[in-house]
Amino acid sequence: MSLSTQQGDDEDNNILVAKVDNARNISNILKAIHFRDTATVFASSNGLKVTVEESKCVQANAFIQAGVFQEYAIRQDSATFKVNLTVLLECLTIFGSSSAPGMNTALKMCYAGYGSPLQLLLEEGGVLTDCSIKTMEPDEMLDFGFSSANVENKVIMKSECLREAWSELDMTSDVLQILMSPDKPYFRLSTFGYAGSIHADYPKDSDMVESFQCEQTQTNRYKLSLLKPSVKALSLSCKISIRTDHRGFLSLQYMVRNEDGQVSFVEYYCCPDEDVEE
Amino acid sequence: MKCIIPGTNIKVFGKAIHSLSKIGEELYLEPLEHGLALRTVNAARSAYGCFIFAPEFFYHYDDSSGGTEGEMEDVEETFKCKIQMKSVLAVFRSLSTLERTVDRCKITLDEGPRLVFQLYCKHSITKTYNLTFQECETLQAVFSKDLCPNAITAQAKLLTEVVQNFQLSLEEITLIVSPEKVILKNYVESEPDPSKVLHTQMSLAAEEFDYFQIGVDTELTFCLKELRAILAFAEAAGMPLSLHFETSGKPIVFSLEGDPAFDANFVMATLADLGSTQGSQSSQQQAINRPGTSMAGTSKTKRTVKKTQQQGSKRNESDIMENRRFQANRQPNRSCAGGNSFLPMDSGFDDMMNDGMDDVIAMGANEMEAAMSQETEQQRNGTSRHEASPERSASPEIPLELGKRPRTHYPDEKPTSHDQSHDDVSMVMEEEGEEEEVLVPGTPPSKRFRSMFFGISSQSQATQAPAETADTAEVLCEDTDDED
Repeated sequence: MSLSTQQGDDEDNNILVAKVDNARNISNILKAIHFRDTATVFASSNGLKVTVEESKCVQANAFIQAGVFQEYAIRQDSATFKVNLTVLLECLTIFGSSSAPGMNTALKMCYAGYGSPLQLLLEEGGVLTDCSIKTMEPDEMLDFGFSSANVENKVIMKSECLREAWSELDMTSDVLQILMSPDKPYFRLSTFGYAGSIHADYPKDSDMVESFQCEQTQTNRYKLSLLKPSVKALSLSCKISIRTDHRGFLSLQYMVRNEDGQVSFVEYYCCPDEDVEE
Repeated sequence: MKCIIPGTNIKVFGKAIHSLSKIGEELYLEPLEHGLALRTVNAARSAYGCFIFAPEFFYHYDDSSGGTEGEMEDVEETFKCKIQMKSVLAVFRSLSTLERTVDRCKITLDEGPRLVFQLYCKHSITKTYNLTFQECETLQAVFSKDLCPNAITAQAKLLTEVVQNFQLSLEEITLIVSPEKVILKNYVESEPDPSKVLHTQMSLAAEEFDYFQIGVDTELTFCLKELRAILAFAEAAGMPLSLHFETSGKPIVFSLEGDPAFDANFVMATLADLGSTQGSQSSQQQAINRPGTSMAGTSKTKRTVKKTQQQGSKRNESDIMENRRFQANRQPNRSCAGGNSFLPMDSGFDDMMNDGMDDVIAMGANEMEAAMSQETEQQRNGTSRHEASPERSASPEIPLELGKRPRTHYPDEKPTSHDQSHDDVSMVMEEEGEEEEVLVPGTPPSKRFRSMFFGISSQSQATQAPAETADTAEVLCEDTDDED
């Protein structure tokens, strides 16, 4: 970490300044995509998009819109940098992770452009913490080429019904198979582990399913180890949208409501396992 | 087979499986006419648990016994299987969630062959678990609660509070009873410097119990770990727990009979009386951890042979177990670990009555083995899992015989003081007194007893072979293989 002592209040150097009254609104969302150490931050006038990738097969994005911040100012069109997400989260939660209602950690985030560290100023109850996190050259992000036009099947359901099933997925199975069909069983999650096969069926007329659009039956398998981390996003979210396109690529989108009722989105993309059964 | 459990009973069913999972690694499932039996035994064969859920427990209960109109597939026997505890625990993992979300649970047998557990949850969600299983023989411990001179009934809460006073790491607990009171204390095996060991002792007066009848003053020691599992269930079910026991060395039975819809019985081995077997016991314990330790050195051998009575109930027969008092020689696994693994089981029950759950039993390291041996014996499904296989190699145990085994299986049996009153039992025990010199800690004990687990022996002769030591001075029963 750089030992810069610059307080970051020097507006002239910072191309990005963002302030929020409750750092948990940021840290909770980032935890939902924290399955690797490093993340790429893409800041634009819309807000922040933080991306984490794994094995060139799965990508998770967290969108924190400008509206979530009490103050958000960016000088350039956009800025991109890579940062250690583990360290960033530790700094954001430096005052502890307990969510006592009265005590909020205020955050001010500053970035002075290419080569500068990401500066965080956190305050809680009169105690100040100043963090300076080194930024790195951003990697090229995968483009899954997932477009709404190619979506074949889409289901939107409430997260609570999936939460328990997802967290208890049989990890002895290599794959998670997702079947979406206009006929029974409509939506089925399956694993094939040592104990045998386990299926969870969610019919389209269940009151947990808000929207169900399936043109044709699709069965796709994805590496369970890659998808399992999405359980964090699932537990934070209130709604999930599951979409697959004509290639079998999977898009999971989670709607997350933070403590102040603001909505942010987290998204996971995953490519299917080699031997796809259609 | 097809059973449907209503939502209100799923938690109890799940809790029963949780408590059995703390005892054994495999769950034996058998749908009987009078209910669905879930049983398990630990690897050391020193603890056995059995739950029987009556048909009233279910919305729908069909055991496909031959006898119902048209159901002729399983004419000769009902379906019996065992599944890995881990697999079935996956179905009933989170009890609170099950309670909240599941409307009913259906258990069926699928061509697959798979045992299918289907959970019909709220919001029309369905979870299906297709579990692999192995066919096996009935696992049955034979025991007779009625013959025990000592019987105590207590609220589960009382016993839980008592047990909480003991260290969590405590392996074994000693129960001392007399007509006025009960004392529970932690068991300290060998006597090291007394001042270095923590001794905990609790006394309870007879009045604290719902029922208290002591016929024989006694002191017995058994494994606390399994007791905790039993108490966890009893407390959750809010039922009183009954203890039936006689003396040290004989098994203690814990039973829960308060609910008409199900019964639970747990049989645990107790440590044999220290008095006569003191010397051998401590060295025995050294040997215990090693595979193939024989159980030599029981000072008093008692051979009692039991025969199970066929009562038309499909389950008993295979598991007659013989009672004998001998030291354990199983590799301690779940039960009282740390070296005191097995508690010799002595049983004085010569009676065999099966009515309902009471079967005469002798449980001991070997006995269960024999029961388990039935699996391979029948060769139904091939893979018999020998959890406690190590000792097969050198085990002197004499397994129990069961029910219909033809005599021919025991070709070289040379019983010494064998109670031959029942033809189908073959058991032999060695004479005590000779063992003592053999028990040198760290060395394999002399092989006095050859394992007579046929089913197992047919498969594990190979493993048995290497362990045979040269000490066959007093072979009473020969192995069915020709190693020597």
